[in-house]
Amino acid sequence: MSDPLLLIEPHGHASRLFMRLAANRLRSESEIRSALKRHGRRALWIAPSSAAVHLLLGTFPRRPMGDQRLLSLERASDNRHGLLHALFRFVVSVDEGVQLLPMDELAEVLSSANRADLFIGAAVAPTDAAIILYRGNLEPLVVPLTWFREHPDGPIPDPHDLAVTDFGQTIRLGAYEAAADALLYEFDEDYRRRAKKRQVETDRSLGGALRRLRLQKGLRQGDFPGVTAKEIARIERGEVKKPHQHTLTAIAKRMGVSADDILTY
Amino acid sequence: MPFGLTLPEPCANRGWKAKIRDRERLEPPHVTILYKTSAWRFALRTGTFLDKEPNPTEVPAEVVGAVRANLTLLRQEWDRMYPENRISTERKAKRKGKSNE
Repeated sequence: MSDPLLLIEPHGHASRLFMRLAANRLRSESEIRSALKRHGRRALWIAPSSAAVHLLLGTFPRRPMGDQRLLSLERASDNRHGLLHALFRFVVSVDEGVQLLPMDELAEVLSSANRADLFIGAAVAPTDAAIILYRGNLEPLVVPLTWFREHPDGPIPDPHDLAVTDFGQTIRLGAYEAAADALLYEFDEDYRRRAKKRQVETDRSLGGALRRLRLQKGLRQGDFPGVTAKEIARIERGEVKKPHQHTLTAIAKRMGVSADDILTY
Repeated sequence: MPFGLTLPEPCANRGWKAKIRDRERLEPPHVTILYKTSAWRFALRTGTFLDKEPNPTEVPAEVVGAVRANLTLLRQEWDRMYPENRISTERKAKRKGKSNE
C-alpha cells in the first residue's frame, strides 16, 4: 500500500492544483501534529507553497520519528534546504533545480497506487555525468548518462533539456526518450522481480535471462573476454544448461552483476 | 527520436499513445501503449500483450486495432532503432527453417 499523502494547506493558501488529490489536508499546527502521530511510521508530505513550508517548519521542532518525506513545490526566498534535509529523509524541491512533471500529471502520479514506479522529476547531477530521477515516493535514482545509449541515426541524449513526461513513464533528454520501465528494470531489483511476475509468459531459463541482460547492456556475443561467442550462443539457446562456474563468473563480471543475479533478468 | 504511432482521433484526444522510445527493454521487442499512469507492452513478434497487469482488456479495441493494423510498420521501426535485436532477420530465419523441415 502507498504511504499516506499529507497536503499542507495553511488557511488562505488552499491550492487548486491538488483539488482532486486524495490527500489528508492539514491547515494548522495542531492538525499537522496529530497527522504526525497517526502516520508517524512513514508519510509523504506535500508543501505546495512557501507558506506551507513555513507552517511545517514551525511545527517540527526536531526531526520527526519514522520515515518522513517532503515534496516542496514553490521556490522559497530564503535558504532552507539544509534544514529541510535535516528534518526529512527525502526532500524533492523545485529550489534544487528539479524539473517536475506538469502539475496535473504530478497530481495524477501521486494519486496512483504504483507511484513508486513512476517518476515525478529529474535533475542533472552536479558532475554532469549522471542525472538524478525522483520516483513518486520521492526516492532518488542516480542514472549515469552512459546508460542512455544512442542508436544509429538517432538523437543524441541532451541532459540540459531534461524532462519527465507521459505521467512519469518517459524520461526525455532533448529529442531522445527513455522508458521508465527500462530504467527501473535495470536499476531496481524489486521492480524487476515484480515486472517478471506480471509477464504472461517468460522464458525462465538461464539462456533467456542471459540474452535479455546481454542485450540490455548493449553487448554482443563476442564481447566476453575468456568466453567464446559460440559458447555464449549455446548457453542462450539452452544447449548448455549449467555452464561452468568460472564461465558464469566471467560472464557476470563483464555485465557488472553477480552470477546469481543473471537469473533475475 | 521515439516513434509514435498515430492512433484514431478519439483515443488520441483522450491521451492514449503508442510508442517505441529510444531506450526500451530490448527483449522481447515491443511497442508500449500508454495512458496516463498505465502502460501495456505489446509484443511485436507475436502481436499479443506481454503482461497480465495492467489488464489488457482496459485498452480500447480501436487502439489495439490500430497497433495490429500497423505491425509491419512497427516492426520496421523497431529494427531501425534496435539493429542489435532485429525482428525481421529472425522471422525470415524461422520461416526458412520451417520450409526446410
